Amino acid sequence: MSYREHLPETKGYPRTAIAINAVVALAVTALILWWAADFAVFYEELFRIQPVAEGANAGVGSDWTSGNQIAWLDFLIAITHAADVIMGVFILFMVFLHWGAFRRLAGRMRQPGDSDSSAVAADGGRVADDAADDDSAATDGGESR
Amino acid sequence: MTQLDHGKFSKMTTTFHTLLALDVFVLFFSGYSLMFNDELWWMVNLMGGAQGVSAVHRIAGGGLLALIVFWMLMMLTTDTGRGNFREILPSKGDFDAFIQDVQFLLGNADERHPNARQFAGGTADEIPLLTYIGKGVVFIFAIELTLLTISGILIWSKTGVMEIMATKTAAAAFVTFHGLLGVIMLMGVMFHIFEHGFHPALYPVEVKAFIPKSMIPEDHDDDTEGTGIELLELAPSWNMASTVVGAMTVIGIVSVLLGSLFDEGYPVPREIAIGGGPTDILLTVGINMGMFVLLLGLVLQMYGNLLRVRWQKQLEQEASEPTTAADGGHVESDD
Ligand code: HEM
Ligand code: HEM
Repeated sequence: MSYREHLPETKGYPRTAIAINAVVALAVTALILWWAADFAVFYEELFRIQPVAEGANAGVGSDWTSGNQIAWLDFLIAITHAADVIMGVFILFMVFLHWGAFRRLAGRMRQPGDSDSSAVAADGGRVADDAADDDSAATDGGESR
Repeated sequence: MTQLDHGKFSKMTTTFHTLLALDVFVLFFSGYSLMFNDELWWMVNLMGGAQGVSAVHRIAGGGLLALIVFWMLMMLTTDTGRGNFREILPSKGDFDAFIQDVQFLLGNADERHPNARQFAGGTADEIPLLTYIGKGVVFIFAIELTLLTISGILIWSKTGVMEIMATKTAAAAFVTFHGLLGVIMLMGVMFHIFEHGFHPALYPVEVKAFIPKSMIPEDHDDDTEGTGIELLELAPSWNMASTVVGAMTVIGIVSVLLGSLFDEGYPVPREIAIGGGPTDILLTVGINMGMFVLLLGLVLQMYGNLLRVRWQKQLEQEASEPTTAADGGHVESDD
């Protein structure tokens, strides 16, 4: 199942398609933002910094407390929190899984300073040429440095 | 320079990945310094206060919109794009790869499944275009970025969102909702950075996303058994670096998750004087660690691009004086 043989991706993308699509994308973006800005862009700091009872923004909080009855928005936020937590736990699991797998793989590699072969570079990027293999450079693409 | 493993990204994809990552990093820094302004006050100041941050975020938001529209067009209008749809569909092999990764971690399996292998080495012909993680990343990032862009457009102007939401409070809550949507992306990118920066054979950065496969020599005489990873020497700094960054990634993820639960702002805050959740010293440290991981990602991706430039130069040089690969290894500069 080599991706090289059957994948169209291997061919890359035609230049003209890239150019045309880039121009179209910019135009579409401009249109959408023009439409969105028709609501009139202005920057208002008040609601970005959370409301407070005292200090410069005193009293904002009382306004905040009224008009919070939109059930669907409440629900939307609740499920987003839930999704964040579920995905967060899952992502954490993935971090640990990879961390562990990486440690195991690292254990398989030659340890730093393990061999005194001069062909081994310290950045983990080289194949030692005393390895019993005649063409071991294949693993790293035969890079030269 | 790090090693080149099998390449998969085309030239267009590497460029796109770089632009997308840069843009999303800016969105992260500007968006979350607003949401976590208690913990990231210094970042808000650095970007010119609330007003500056809002402007930065909108500019980068416009950039993301353009990138997404461009990518959709590419996927729809080119054969290459359409052909690749199939490659991202999850398969049984992906599920097996996940199970096998767990087994590998527990010591019950000797190798990672081809669908999980980041370092293919001698087994390059067995592995699919995307690992099971890669497919998940494509799905999750695509959904997240689409939702973020749509909700971002809706809140582009404050008056506009108020028209839609009826009350100011609800309008602000909708902004919060937009930020909460991005939390999955935020945590996911931290993992993405750890995954692609700290694989022991590819450390300190997996260059596949930066060097197009057309510039990576292919070699097909696979007489080696397996990946050949045991022939590579581990970098001396790997142990320390992966431990520190691994810990920071975990702490960062946990902290932004907790922070997002506290900084919700809707429904009505239980107490009025909230100032955006508990100004907890631990949370502050944790969230800042998360930001550090992002910063590291930014640096690594620039380093990846630097490596590409160097590699390109080297290929050009070798093309002009063909027989001189410094270590006697052969470099096939096919393109
Ligand atoms: C990776 C993508 C994105 C992430 C992670 C993100 C995150 C955030 C966060 C965390 C906030 C602050 C929410 C709060 O204060 O509680 C925010 C606000 C905002 N976002 Fe985004 N966002 C993203 C993409 C976008 C896009 C594509 C647009 C526009 C097209 C956009 C437009 C806005 C606007 C207008 C605000 C309000 C800023 C203000 O207060 O003036 N965002 N975003
Ligand atoms: C916000 C920033 C980023 C976004 C949205 C992003 C997105 C993606 C996506 C969608 C993929 C394809 C799926 C996969 O194979 O995982 C990918 C692959 C990849 N990314 Fe990123 N990325 C980001 C940052 C980075 C950074 C900082 C690095 C470097 C440390 C990186 C390295 C890679 C690598 C090595 C691949 C795999 C390429 C391959 O399989 O051939 N990415 N990225």
